[in-house]
Amino acid sequence: MKKWFSLAIVSAVMLTTLSACGSNNNAEPTNNGGNAGTTNNTETKSNNAGATNTNAPAEEATGDSAISGKVVFLTNRTDMIDKQYTDYEKRFEEKYPGVDLQFEAITDYEKNLKIRIASGSFPDVVLLAGGIPNAELPKYFAPLDDIQFSDELYYQDLKKVDGKMYGISSGNSTVGIVYNKEAFAKAGVTEVPKTLDEFYAAAEKLKAAGIVPLASNFKDKWPLGAWIYDVPTMISKTADHQDKRAETDTPYTMDNVYGQSFSILRTLYEKGYLENDVNSTNWEQSKKDIAQGKFGMYLLGNWVVNQVIENGAASENVGFFPFPSDNSGEAKAPLNPDFFYGVNKDGNVAAAKAFVQWLIEESGYDDFAGFIPTLKNKKPKLAQLEEFNTYNPTYVEAVPPLSLPTEIQNKAQIEQEALVQEFVLSKDPQKVLDKYNEKWAKAKSALAK
Amino acid sequence: MFNRLPFHTQRKIIIVGFVAIPLLLLLTFAYYPALELIRLSFTDWDGMSPDKSWIGWDNYKEVFSNPEIFGVFKHNFAYFVVGIIQNILAIYFAIILNSKLRGKNFFRLLLFLPYILNGVAVAYLFGYVFDTTNGSLNTFLGTLGFDSLSQTSWLGSEGFVNYTLASIGLWRFMGFNMVIYLAALQSIPSDLYEAASIDGANGWQQFVYITLPNIYKIIELNLFLTVTGALEVFDLPFVLTNGGPAGASETFVMKIISTAFQFNNYGLASAMSVVLLLFVVVVLSIQRFLLNRGGN
Repeated sequence: MKKWFSLAIVSAVMLTTLSACGSNNNAEPTNNGGNAGTTNNTETKSNNAGATNTNAPAEEATGDSAISGKVVFLTNRTDMIDKQYTDYEKRFEEKYPGVDLQFEAITDYEKNLKIRIASGSFPDVVLLAGGIPNAELPKYFAPLDDIQFSDELYYQDLKKVDGKMYGISSGNSTVGIVYNKEAFAKAGVTEVPKTLDEFYAAAEKLKAAGIVPLASNFKDKWPLGAWIYDVPTMISKTADHQDKRAETDTPYTMDNVYGQSFSILRTLYEKGYLENDVNSTNWEQSKKDIAQGKFGMYLLGNWVVNQVIENGAASENVGFFPFPSDNSGEAKAPLNPDFFYGVNKDGNVAAAKAFVQWLIEESGYDDFAGFIPTLKNKKPKLAQLEEFNTYNPTYVEAVPPLSLPTEIQNKAQIEQEALVQEFVLSKDPQKVLDKYNEKWAKAKSALAK
Repeated sequence: MFNRLPFHTQRKIIIVGFVAIPLLLLLTFAYYPALELIRLSFTDWDGMSPDKSWIGWDNYKEVFSNPEIFGVFKHNFAYFVVGIIQNILAIYFAIILNSKLRGKNFFRLLLFLPYILNGVAVAYLFGYVFDTTNGSLNTFLGTLGFDSLSQTSWLGSEGFVNYTLASIGLWRFMGFNMVIYLAALQSIPSDLYEAASIDGANGWQQFVYITLPNIYKIIELNLFLTVTGALEVFDLPFVLTNGGPAGASETFVMKIISTAFQFNNYGLASAMSVVLLLFVVVVLSIQRFLLNRGGN
């Protein structure tokens, strides 16, 4: 009898264990792509594969004697290895026959690049990810002013130190509302909202139709970046609000750009326009839900468009419009650079420079990635960007980041995404701002010493 | 040539050779980095620049004076509580599976299996279990008729998110503890139990007076593993909640990682690591003291 009882208990536990094993099998194919927390974010963020590669017209080989030898490009696009990069290598080596071009793809780029630089030797062409202050650039990188580009470039000043340019943007993006057109039609939203009130009204209609109006991906933190960097830019029509924080002891107040921006998100949260449970969101799943029209909108960069299309949406079904951050009816949008190309000053500089020029002008990478090209007069290929431009947004160009605000922020250990989360979830948002302002002021005075 | 040397010299060479190589490996890959960590903890290194300036005890002062840093230890408490439950369950299953039960090897295997799974895979798996809207747990509760319970945000409630996460740890490590207990149980001679049952001891008395004293050392070992595990939790909250909601499930190791790699303060992060190491030593000394007091 006793044995029978223990057997029963053991089998009951076994069954639950077994069923959990079963769900493991289901889980694995669903989480395609990312496998570890952070790498997942950084990877997918700039992981905009999808559009087919458009070959730039092959020019006749211009053999330059100085341009030869081995060039290694350290890239974050692990997905392009053995695919597009094979083609890049062939085309580039055709143009410069003396060059041996190699690609090295790594994940968790920022962390690893930092370690490689600290170790003293790193590849010839790298992406200047965040984390390297501008003042440090001349120590490791070669100035790129002498590359003769065929057109004006965006962001010549962003990586400029003492009048010399150390980085060239690989492409640019903007931030706005990416939406599912069918979901809008189903909810009876016939026109894209031009003001904030219209935006709330549209969200209400979506909610009434059983569609989650805006996918915030609140839990994952990084998707909240738009509310910190981009919405304040739209509200103030200036891009230096992050820099200006260094001038004050209270950078986050209810009535400044941050308070206004965070309050919009808080309103959306309170009215139930975000996911059912914002603390249990799933980024990979949200792309499918947007594609299928279960979710209505994203507030993210244009890079997400291709990812939504990859997850099953028809391209003509995905739209993109500027986020109405206020009731003025004026369309505004930030213009943000992606990673910058940098050239190792101790590497094969001449050939590396030729490769950077080729990447910008001929590789077609900007179109492949769905970027706004760095060459000012080149039109973006992405259909959604064309739609975006029909609303005539005023683009606000990013400005070079100052190092002092970043230093204060690091000293104070402020993670702005966490600040947004607390602001939205807290009963008393003013208290949250006070807490962060206090940390900020303390770190600021500690650094001033 | 080696053969012609006197026996004593040969012996010395072999002993030195066999000791030197492992020692060298140990020194280069364990002790040198550890010393380097301690050295870094006294500097303000930003992770990249070649100059590391010495700032004395400032980092340590910061660790102990900043409640934001030290306060996250209270999140680890949940893992500790669940770790105790995990050990009790492990002993229970070990005793059951040590008896003459049909198919016990199969059950042992099943209980041990979760331990073999990779931590990140486990985290993803439970991400689908605990999801509020589509999760299997809430769907299950819904079909059982617990409508209000099936809306629970398992990973989004500040009150019990740590217990949710710790319960995943229980599922994962219980089998491992059980296997260790099983090995200990099998080393207890069965004539002790026979003698006890002839004297009329019931099952509970046998457990308290024979089993427990015999596996005492092993319980101590398992508690050691549980306590260090509870202090160093990282992968589950990192993948599942990213420290959320609003930092409620952030653990000390996550804090170390963000200090080093996000805020570029490698010096402070090194000091935090050293403090964690000392903390583990202190907690274990207390535990040993308490457990051994009864034994001696």
